[in-house]
Amino acid sequence: MQMVDFEFRNELIKEDFSLNYCYQCGTCSSSCPVALITEGEYNPRKIIEQSLLGLKELLIKEQKPNVWLCCTCQMCVEECPQNVFLTEIFERIKNKIVLVGEPYPETFKSQAKSIIESGLAIPLTQPIIRRRNQLDLPEVESANIDEIKKLLTATDFEKKAKILEVNK
Amino acid sequence: MSYNYFLGCVIPGRLPFLEASARRTFEKIGMKVGDQAKCSCCPDPTGAAQLDHETFLALGARNLCLFEESNNNILSLCSGCTESLKTVKHLLDNDDEKKKEINLKLKSIGKSYKGNIQIKHFAEVLYENIEKIKKLVKKPLKDLKVAGHPGCHYLRPSEIINWDDPLNPKTLDELIEAIGADPVEYNLKNECCGNPLEKSDKEISLSMLENKLKSMREAGADCIACVCPACYQQFDFNQREINKKNNTDYKFPVFYITELIALALGIDTENLGLNFHRVKVNEVMQKIT
Repeated sequence: MQMVDFEFRNELIKEDFSLNYCYQCGTCSSSCPVALITEGEYNPRKIIEQSLLGLKELLIKEQKPNVWLCCTCQMCVEECPQNVFLTEIFERIKNKIVLVGEPYPETFKSQAKSIIESGLAIPLTQPIIRRRNQLDLPEVESANIDEIKKLLTATDFEKKAKILEVNK
Repeated sequence: MSYNYFLGCVIPGRLPFLEASARRTFEKIGMKVGDQAKCSCCPDPTGAAQLDHETFLALGARNLCLFEESNNNILSLCSGCTESLKTVKHLLDNDDEKKKEINLKLKSIGKSYKGNIQIKHFAEVLYENIEKIKKLVKKPLKDLKVAGHPGCHYLRPSEIINWDDPLNPKTLDELIEAIGADPVEYNLKNECCGNPLEKSDKEISLSMLENKLKSMREAGADCIACVCPACYQQFDFNQREINKKNNTDYKFPVFYITELIALALGIDTENLGLNFHRVKVNEVMQKIT
């Protein structure tokens, strides 16, 4: 049985008040390319409904619908007659999944790890540096990694994103 | 205020030839754009930015601070970076409390975000110079049918991007027209290319791509033009995947709009690195020369 978690619902509303405006018309789902391809298995309207009802377990643990399938195209946000900022709400749900340590796609984790280690999602490699020289492009002076580490420590990112577990 | 480039991660680290075409094009239209040292990942609005809101704001704000310190506006070569940076600016400029919180984090590295620079996507700046581009065209790309793919983060969310029409965009097609080529109308022009879902579901990602390719083919396109390195990768790297999977024969050459403009302005192809494209561009090159 699904339990209603009012705290979860209230937190989401606090993080993005536009959640309150949804009247479940379904315009978001009809404008969503992923909903179309998955024949409604991915369903933005349902994610918003479950958020409003506080169905935390479904969204965070079972991940049904799977919020990681949002392609971030923002069509729903543009089309919503009530100006619900769906992608922002989905981002907050993803944040919660990450924070409580439920599984999330490995590619996101490896990108986060790369940013922690190099400041970049795609660090410069020797072959690319050679190619850049070939194309007569200037050297890229990347971020100071100690500075990035310090900032990410201030936001507690490594711990929140459970990056250390990857290293074990 | 002058511009410095925000290169992002994908272009300098994987597709430097796109950077070459952008630099050559801006030089050619007489714009001096500087280089901004010490940038980090924007962070990726389809990736790391989704994991922790506070880190998203802090990393983005740090990048904005670098430009504030050097007193330059941002000219971004990537739609994703543009969206992330514009979103961070929007959120901090409209919420003093949030700004205070993030500045507290930035204090640990001796920085403070003020909010006094602008962020522009490179195609927006090209569009501002469209009349100049028209005048500089040496080799109009006559009879070349180009399927423009504006992509998502170039346009939306419009409240933050605040630029072209988010549901019926025109600027990319007008740039294609400005260099003498023919922008083709196709049904799924405004659809996502599917790239972001490569991170969570490759299958769906490829289905989205195939739908787009089908629609472009039906419209009789010779090639694709885009303005985002993520879209570029999806189109250039994954047509082969689609063909393998579905026994199709898609081979649209994929261009960054700056490559097409560079060709039309007569910039030496030797400096563009077109040979680094996965889908070969030879047929298009024959058509336009």
